[in-house]
Amino acid sequence: MRERLLANLVMIAQIPAPGGAEEQRVRFLLDRFVEAGISHAAADEVGNAVGRLQGKTGDRNILLVSHLDTIFPANLDHNVTVESDRVIGPGVGDNALGAAIVSMVPSVLEHLGIELDSNLILLGTTHSLGRGNHAGIRFFLDHIPEKVNCGICVEGMQLGRLNYFSIGTARGDITCDVRPEPSRSYGSESALVVINHIINRVLGISIPNRPYTVIRLGKMRAGVAYDVEPDHAELGVEIVSHDDEMIDQIHHQIEDIVSEMSARHAVEAHFYLFFKTQAGGIPFSHPLVKGVLDVMRSLQIEPDQGHSPSELSELIARGVPAVTLGISRGMRSRKQSPDFVLIDPILTGVAQLIGAILAIDEGACDEVEKPQPVDEGDLT
Amino acid sequence: MKSQQWLNERTFHHSNFWDIKWLVEEKQRQGLSISLCLPTLNEEKTIGQEIVILKAELADRYPLLDEIAVIDSGSSDQTCEIAARFGADVYIASEQLVEQGDHPGKGENLWKALYLLNGDIIVYVDTDIKNIHPRFVYGLVGPLIKDPEVHYVKAFYDRPLAFSGGLRPTGGGRVTEILVRPLFCLFYPELAAILQPLSGEYAGRRSILEQISYPVGYGVETAMLIDIYERLGLYAFAQTDLDRRIHRNQETIALGRMSFGVLRTFMSRLKREQLARFEQELPIIMRQYEVNDGNYRQLEYEIEEIERQPMIEVEAYRQKFYPEQQPV
Repeated sequence: MRERLLANLVMIAQIPAPGGAEEQRVRFLLDRFVEAGISHAAADEVGNAVGRLQGKTGDRNILLVSHLDTIFPANLDHNVTVESDRVIGPGVGDNALGAAIVSMVPSVLEHLGIELDSNLILLGTTHSLGRGNHAGIRFFLDHIPEKVNCGICVEGMQLGRLNYFSIGTARGDITCDVRPEPSRSYGSESALVVINHIINRVLGISIPNRPYTVIRLGKMRAGVAYDVEPDHAELGVEIVSHDDEMIDQIHHQIEDIVSEMSARHAVEAHFYLFFKTQAGGIPFSHPLVKGVLDVMRSLQIEPDQGHSPSELSELIARGVPAVTLGISRGMRSRKQSPDFVLIDPILTGVAQLIGAILAIDEGACDEVEKPQPVDEGDLT
Repeated sequence: MKSQQWLNERTFHHSNFWDIKWLVEEKQRQGLSISLCLPTLNEEKTIGQEIVILKAELADRYPLLDEIAVIDSGSSDQTCEIAARFGADVYIASEQLVEQGDHPGKGENLWKALYLLNGDIIVYVDTDIKNIHPRFVYGLVGPLIKDPEVHYVKAFYDRPLAFSGGLRPTGGGRVTEILVRPLFCLFYPELAAILQPLSGEYAGRRSILEQISYPVGYGVETAMLIDIYERLGLYAFAQTDLDRRIHRNQETIALGRMSFGVLRTFMSRLKREQLARFEQELPIIMRQYEVNDGNYRQLEYEIEEIERQPMIEVEAYRQKFYPEQQPV
């Protein structure tokens, strides 16, 4: 089983899948679902890979989801190296390993002789990262004709990760364009300089200690040459908070700053928000969390509880109790060292996932209140 | 016209054999066993993924392969440890058939694989492939399972070379186009239809592989083609398009030495078949030159294409595979 898991990991990782071009990975997952004997396996309208393993009673629907897209462009060398203790290659941990595990769950259950009472819905999502804005899972959850009782988001890293709270996130770009020369008025400046003014003003926004809130200025792009003042500049901004109102408030403040700077410096400046998730979660006392913690404890996995930027937020926002689990340990891409995941912890991660599915199958998600925004005090 | 007809009838695409389940059933019906030989020398970067994928897909999921073995030429890196960890049988070539001596080289490993492995069909796959996929095996054994008149299947590819900044759509095959194909056109015109005669992936029936001699070095692929052709003719061959193969690129200077070895093997066949006559023995020294700060230096490489006798002539082999034919 270990070799089959690794083979799936390598083959998925070797398929390039930048956001919006996940078709080959979708095809791979669907082939695996069919080979595992799943009768309902197809791509939906936005291209998600969907498989449905019918349970004995079918009383519940458990959703297992992993995103299929990666941050890496298709022209990057996606080939993978397997060493004695690790698998190395672009995106192996985020999220080829998660996708490989979702593709293998039916085979693992069969191998272990497990027949679930619940239906198991296996989902490989498209359009998840960046500007994809979780479009794949949003479409799926908004159009599935039956109720999803519980969800598990499967991420390649890190083993021990237990997320049941989704921090609110808003991402957007501030763009600044210098007006064409004939229509410039007095005071028009380089787009880069105006962006700099905007940065200074954004940094001056008052941030409270509670609820936890951060403004990140993550990326910037401007200019083509040393001797030409740029006509266009872009600034990538992320606002994260435990409180959706705080995100809205800061969003409006930044919009006001941008509008003011636009007028003051005679440029066209705008703030476009393209990604937004709501804050929320299930409490620590939720039986799903307790059940997963019991599984982790029995496998001697040290839980790392925190918030998650994964598809979890979409499930939580729709009232579906859910957690995010990691499968192995490893490292994401840094310039000097490529992505890798360790091999040995993978089977522990799979055991943890199967344990969590069994806990849900035995009722860990039944008859509890719908998830809702929680206070920070609950996030112990 | 015969080679054109052969090209049409015996050139496949790996997708012709996508139904691995059918291949397994047909293999079992014919009572065949299939062994995979992976010759290695310091291939720790690629051997792991080759074994993981081929074993998981073609031994565990679909039992097309009965045996996966690495035959190593004395790697100094982690090649053997990684291969063993992921479930391959690992043999050090120099430690096998010791009574036959040791002549390091890829051909030596392929030759000893005939003795070490048990399959009726032997699949040889190089271990420098970065984009390994099950098609590298099922695409080669497919024609052998499908047609009993096919005895040897050769791979061909669109061969991009990995280089910084991405992938180039074409490239490679320089020795083929500049040396081997022109030679085939001159002396074995029908073999010129084999699109990539030097590709490192091929599969053959034991019944023919045991009958031919194996050069231990660069000439092993060329020798196999010529020797099988002389015994069985063009229609013993098939070739399969395996799409893309990503591998390390070799410098032109290294290809020069490879060409020398291939040429020596070729010349020995010409001499054997009395297609050419040489007044004296051909030299075994290849000379190349380098310039460093205005100093010119001659480098000499001894490239002797030692040939291993047909395996069927080796006593230990006959005892293992044909014990009933041994004298009492």
